[in-house]
Parts: sequence; structure tokens; C-alpha cells
Amino acid sequence: MKHLLLRLEPVIWLLFGAGLSVGTILLTGFVLVVGLGIPMGIVSADALAYPRAHMLASNFIGRVLLLALIALPLWKGAHHLRSLSMDFGGESRDGAVGGLLYLIAAIGSVAGILAVIRL
Amino acid sequence: MSESQKMMRVEITRFDPDKDEVPKIQQYQIPVEPGWKVLDAVNYIKDHIDPSVAYRWSCRMAVCGSCGMMVDGEPKLTCKTALSDYGDAIRIEPLANFPIVRDLVVDIDGFMDKFRSVKPWIVRAKERAQDMEELNSRGTYSQTPAQLDAFRQFSMCINCLLCYAACPVVANEPEFIGPAAIALGHRYNIDSRDEGSRERNAIFRGEGTVFSCSFANECSEVCPKNVDPAAAVNQAKLGAVIDWAKGLILPKGGA
Amino acid sequence: MAGAAHPEAMAPRKKGSTRTAPPQTPTTWWSAPRIRTYLLFGATGGVYLLMGFLVLRLAWALGKGPQEWNAALSSLSNPLYIGFHALVLVSLIFVGLRAFGKMMPKMQPRGGPLPVLPAATVRGVIYGAWAVVTLFMVLVLSGVIF
Repeated sequence: MKHLLLRLEPVIWLLFGAGLSVGTILLTGFVLVVGLGIPMGIVSADALAYPRAHMLASNFIGRVLLLALIALPLWKGAHHLRSLSMDFGGESRDGAVGGLLYLIAAIGSVAGILAVIRL
Repeated sequence: MSESQKMMRVEITRFDPDKDEVPKIQQYQIPVEPGWKVLDAVNYIKDHIDPSVAYRWSCRMAVCGSCGMMVDGEPKLTCKTALSDYGDAIRIEPLANFPIVRDLVVDIDGFMDKFRSVKPWIVRAKERAQDMEELNSRGTYSQTPAQLDAFRQFSMCINCLLCYAACPVVANEPEFIGPAAIALGHRYNIDSRDEGSRERNAIFRGEGTVFSCSFANECSEVCPKNVDPAAAVNQAKLGAVIDWAKGLILPKGGA
Repeated sequence: MAGAAHPEAMAPRKKGSTRTAPPQTPTTWWSAPRIRTYLLFGATGGVYLLMGFLVLRLAWALGKGPQEWNAALSSLSNPLYIGFHALVLVSLIFVGLRAFGKMMPKMQPRGGPLPVLPAATVRGVIYGAWAVVTLFMVLVLSGVIF
């Protein structure tokens, strides 16, 4: 497993880097409105009523952005948690921890692709 | 000596492999002079109190990289660290993350292995004999000031190993090449005279992978020569990824 | 003041002839302010992972239909969710400042065809892009545009 992770390292790092940069930049606006603005009543919930929300998400750019909002944070998160495990002396269990975390990110990404196709 | 002589308690790690199971701390009470560096305190102990203390030092002006030690838990060059920055007591320990040979002396062979592994010399693509012929006919390699500027900062490393003592990845992952060695390997990758970046990038993606770096940035925080190894390591990641991508797209031997 | 590092940390390939004591790491390391910040940086990974799955849940509900979507969206009004999203926002800003402010300016490749820009310029460009994209998304999602 460690050897496999080593060979995949450039891909993992690129996905992590994209999550760190693009993911952070995209998520901020999303969290401000969907996570805070609407629930706190600062933004009207009508803005994301089903017809409009579906219209925004189901055009091509919307699907790509939505997939990015799902997948990129997953890879950033998985890689950083793996680093954190290392910082706490997890070198001997790195194969298992890394493998599990990236598997979770991969499953989430695939589920994201399915979700975005099924819109 | 002044009227009220300042005294200081200096705690030093002692370890003699012939006598001690584990390292222990020994305390000394010494008079200190204004303007002293930490190294002066250790030298005082060696000269006047306990000649058995073992430690490395040389230039006493922060260019040789010999006197690196942990001072109150932080890696420092003791010849450059003012005693007045500390209060009545100070603890001096050997550099973190290295096996301890004796007292404040650590085994740096592990670093030398990692350093050698990145081929820290100009690598030329051509066969050596042909290259030497061309070299002899044209003289030295030339390089513009701009080309020198590209790698100059990373060449300022004095191998003091403070960065290794500060790096959490070095502490936890024995295979990791480490800040200074990566910085010095990268220094050659971006040197216009060098043609060995393919080989070095393969090493950067190997067992000691540069991607183990998690950007703690501690290496750059403690570096006494402003080498900024964190910059080198993260540039090296980018370089290694580009090299990997080129390897996927272009056939072997493609420029 | 010293605890144990990995027992094989910085070990030479060939063992020397004398016994060495195992590598040490300062016990004060964990509490040092810079290290605490660094560990928090890694810990934001957990927040990002959860957020990714939350967006997945919303996307899945949107695909199922109006009832599921409305239920999912209104569930976000739960104070726990609001608290979580506040935490996400703080994490995003913290990560952005560290990644864009400290890391990206240092990563500019050298010795290549591209010029090396001053750190302030790199920060300005990336923070600018962050602000513009955020503003755009806020305007779109709150119904001001489109």
C-alpha cells in the first residue's frame, strides 16, 4: 500500500493542491450563502428555491462547479488528515491510514460524479 | 569582573555510551559576561569546570554550521545566540531528531547519506569524455547574473542541520530526504549548467519523497542563513510533478 | 524537556561502531505557537472532508426533487449546522491566508522562463481572485444575478 501511495503521490498532491486553492476559493461564497446567509435569514431562501437551484446546478458550468465543491475539499481533507496522522507518530500505520482516507475521498468523488449526472 | 557578577544555571545533556544507559541532564552554575553567546557559556564550562563535555564548534561566526544545538527546546547556532535573550537558566541539548553520539554531539552520517543521494553536483547529459573535450576547448561554463540569481539563495546552506531539528516530518518519517538536502538538490535542478534534473526528480519522488513535506515552514523559520528551504522543497514538488507529467506524455529521453 | 522522536530518525545507513542514544524531540514542541498553528492547518482537513460530504448530500437531494431539496436546505437552519458552517468559514479563511499568503509566493518556479514576482504581487493576485470569485458566487447564489 505504501508503495502504491508513493507511485500515486504526484496525482494525490495535485488533487490536494487543487482542493487547497480552488476548493477554498469556491467554497467561501457557497458557505457564506448556503451555510450562513440563508439559514440565518440574511438571504431569502427563495433565491435557492428548487426551480432556480436546479436551473443553476444543472447547466454544464453548474455541474462542474458543484462537482468541484464536492470532490476538491475531499482530497484536500484526506491528504491533510493523513499528514496530521504522521505528525502524531503514525508512520507505521501510514499505509492503512492513507489508503483509507484516499479511499473515502475517491468514493465521495465518484458519488459526486453520480450526483451531478443525476441532476 | 563587575561588582555584581551575573550567574546563570546552565543545564547540559550528558551521555557517555560507555557509562550511561540514557542521556541525562547535568547542571552547572557559571558567571556570565555581557555580550556572551551561548557558545561562550559552554566553552567556559569546558575550560573551567568540566573538561569532559563534548560538543562541536569552529568558526564562532555562523558560517561553518558546526555549533547547532537545542537551546531551551529550539534549534540554534550557539555562536550566534545571545545569552542575554535568556533569563537565569538555560538548557542546552543536542540537535533534535538525530542519534546522539556523546553529550551534545549528534551523528550526522544520516544527513550525509541523504545529501549524497540527491547528487549535489553538476550533472551533464553527455558522456564524460566528450563533455571534458568540449569543456577544455571552450573553457569554463558561462552563466549570466540572472541565471546565478535563480539558485544563489539555496546555495548559501551551511549544512548546520537546524532545519532537520525543526522539521516535524524529519522527526516522524526516517526516509524523508529533509529540508537542506532537498534545497541543495533543487539548487542544482535550477542551475543552468546542470542537466541532471530528471535523475534528481526521480529521487525526489522515491522513498524519501519531497511530497512528505507538509509545509510546517519550521525549516525556514530556524535557518540562520535565510536559505528558505521551505521554498526550495515546495518548488521541488512542483518540479517533480512537472517532470512526472512530462514522463507520461513524452517518450523516455524526450527533452 | 526532550521526548522521543521516531527511533530511526536520521539514522545512518551503516551503523557506526559506538552505541548512540535514540533521537530526541523537545516536549515543548507541541505547545509552541507556530507548531500549534501548523497542526491546526492539518486539522482543517477534517472540516473540509465533512464539508465535501455535506455538499454531496445537498447535490444528491437536488437531484431527487423539490421535496428532498427543500428538506435538505431547511435542515441547514439547525443551529448545529450553522455552527458547523461558521467553523468552515473560519477554516477557509485560515487555510487561505496560510496557503495563499505563505506557501504560494514561495512556490514560484525559478530558473525557468517565467519571471519571479514579488511575494506581495502574488498575494495580491490570489487574494484578489478569491475576493472576486466569492463575490460572484454570493451574488449568484443569493439571486442578485442570473
